[in-house]
Amino acid sequence: MSAIRLERLVKRFGAFTALEAMDLAIADGEFMALLGPSGCGKSTTMNMIAGMEDPSEGRILFGDRDMRGVPMGRRGVGFVFQNYAIFTHMTVRRNLDYGLRMTGRPAAEVGRRTEAMAELLGLTALLDRPAEGLSVNILQRLAIGRSAVMEPVIFLLDEPLSNVDAAFRAVMRTELKALQRQFRQTTVYVTHDQLEAMTMADRIAVMDHGVLQQVGTPLDVYNAPANTFVARFIGSPGMNLCAGRLTDTDRGLAVDLGTLGLSPPLAPALAAAGRRGPRDVTYGFRPEEVHLGPGGLRLPLILAERIGARTILHLGRGETTLRAVFQGNPDLPAGEIGLVPDPASVRLFDAATGAAIAGA
Amino acid sequence: MTMADARRPAPAARPAAEDGARLGFRLTLPAQILVLFIAVFPLLMQLYISLTDWSPLTGTAWPRAWEYWNGFANYVDLFNDAKLWRSIWRTLLVVAIAVPIEFLLGLGLAMLFVDDFPGKKVAYSILIAPMMVVPAVAGYMFFMLFQSGGPVNDLLSWFTPEPVALAWLSQPTTALVAVIIADIWQWTPLMFLILLAGLVGVPQDQLRAAALLGASPAQRFVTIVIPRMKAIMIIAIALRVIECLKIFDTLFIMTGGGPGDATQTLSVYIYDITTQDLIWGYVAAIALAILVVLSLGAVWAMRRMVR
Repeated sequence: MSAIRLERLVKRFGAFTALEAMDLAIADGEFMALLGPSGCGKSTTMNMIAGMEDPSEGRILFGDRDMRGVPMGRRGVGFVFQNYAIFTHMTVRRNLDYGLRMTGRPAAEVGRRTEAMAELLGLTALLDRPAEGLSVNILQRLAIGRSAVMEPVIFLLDEPLSNVDAAFRAVMRTELKALQRQFRQTTVYVTHDQLEAMTMADRIAVMDHGVLQQVGTPLDVYNAPANTFVARFIGSPGMNLCAGRLTDTDRGLAVDLGTLGLSPPLAPALAAAGRRGPRDVTYGFRPEEVHLGPGGLRLPLILAERIGARTILHLGRGETTLRAVFQGNPDLPAGEIGLVPDPASVRLFDAATGAAIAGA
Repeated sequence: MTMADARRPAPAARPAAEDGARLGFRLTLPAQILVLFIAVFPLLMQLYISLTDWSPLTGTAWPRAWEYWNGFANYVDLFNDAKLWRSIWRTLLVVAIAVPIEFLLGLGLAMLFVDDFPGKKVAYSILIAPMMVVPAVAGYMFFMLFQSGGPVNDLLSWFTPEPVALAWLSQPTTALVAVIIADIWQWTPLMFLILLAGLVGVPQDQLRAAALLGASPAQRFVTIVIPRMKAIMIIAIALRVIECLKIFDTLFIMTGGGPGDATQTLSVYIYDITTQDLIWGYVAAIALAILVVLSLGAVWAMRRMVR
């Protein structure tokens, strides 16, 4: 097992910078998800950890060992490809024991370890079947087993669930997490699906445009987004953000949201932080953490999506669109809707930089 | 099914189908006649003549070749024709040397061209140019190159203390070598093109996965690339073997089958006895025998390929 440390890691393709000076420490045995929209640099980062691409600058360390110049076959890294890259011209057994055979282990050891792995993954009955035409969940287990049998110190998974249909993804998520618990390897998991990251990862590294935005536990990232990108990206739907200006009222510091009206007064800690920062801010709150009523934002309803257990309201005026999520099927007042964000859930961001103004 | 369909009398459909078949037959008749004329008719004619001693020198027209009927004597003669067997052996030798070299060169080049490098497009165009050269022109080119005062000897002279003045095409062994070199020059590009297409089709993910599992480049080649390319390799080799068995044009212009009969391959031998000895009954027998043997070989190869 091994920790991973990325130090000022940079990757450029010609004039394009795919990854900008990334620092990240992944603890031994940790499950780290690299999360971001496509093109954010997460796969590039992973490929560099695996040794499939060379960094333009910076260092990658496994434990205390600098990996520069170490070829991918010697890094002790297990890699599960997006499409699994199963050798379809071989049998399941030949896939599973491929690494052991290629590295010249004695035949008895190859057989023993392969069969133990097959047993663990429930592939024993399929060992002599051709790998062609197996179902996706078996291919996934085979791809993991093929890497795991080499006892890698680090597991890298590149969007392993993106080819799976939505209904099956939940099953696979559970299975993957169970397997990782079993092997207890340091795992890096690349995904653009926040649900996968939130449910499986110990910590999440959110990336955008080649820049690491925030690293934290799933709840950290959800509750205390470091900037407006993370706020909007995490959660479904993401956090509501509206431009405003801090204003003193007789009930305390609040945010003047222009045509939307005046926000309810800020919680004391956030207000204290707000007074130290700039006046122009972005006011953010989770769509789930609001209630209907007077004394908050007022804006017209565009659409109400009633999907049984939940109701999603789309509201908007001018450039600003907001969403609100309610349990069940609340009655909606006619005309403009009054939204009151729960003061504890409100976050403030610097309007110029997008960075969070810490207060909680 | 609609009511109209249900009410339509069933027997009426059958004559319509027959009409359709007859129409199809009539429409394809010109093509059928053409095939009959250019494929079936010559074959039957060849079979007919091969059973006789007929020759244009007899003065009778070929339809009356039965006057020289000799049964299967030509086919018996085949087995005792030492010159024929020597030419077959020579042809096989050329195939056995030229095709593997073309294959290995083509594969090596294809592996270079899978990755990008500066000037790839130019190198690619130059590389496939030989294939575009008319074989007769290539033959004349190599005829000039291998003259005793030619560029090949000049080139070799740089590496030897004495100037080389080898008359390549006038000595049995070197003439065969020269002919093989010309074939390799002209047909390696085809091998390269086919194998490159196959190599590009090998999934990169699988190669990376194999590398991550600790397989060396040689192991990756044996366990991933070859199995993935097997069908294409067989096609490339089969194409070249069939073509090379028929080797004629370039070779004929370079050496004319000489010196003596040193480069007299099967095609050259058949050409010689056709144009010099004029024993067309015997020629027909040889050609037919070769056709049968090659067809059997092709069927066997196809069956293996499908599997």
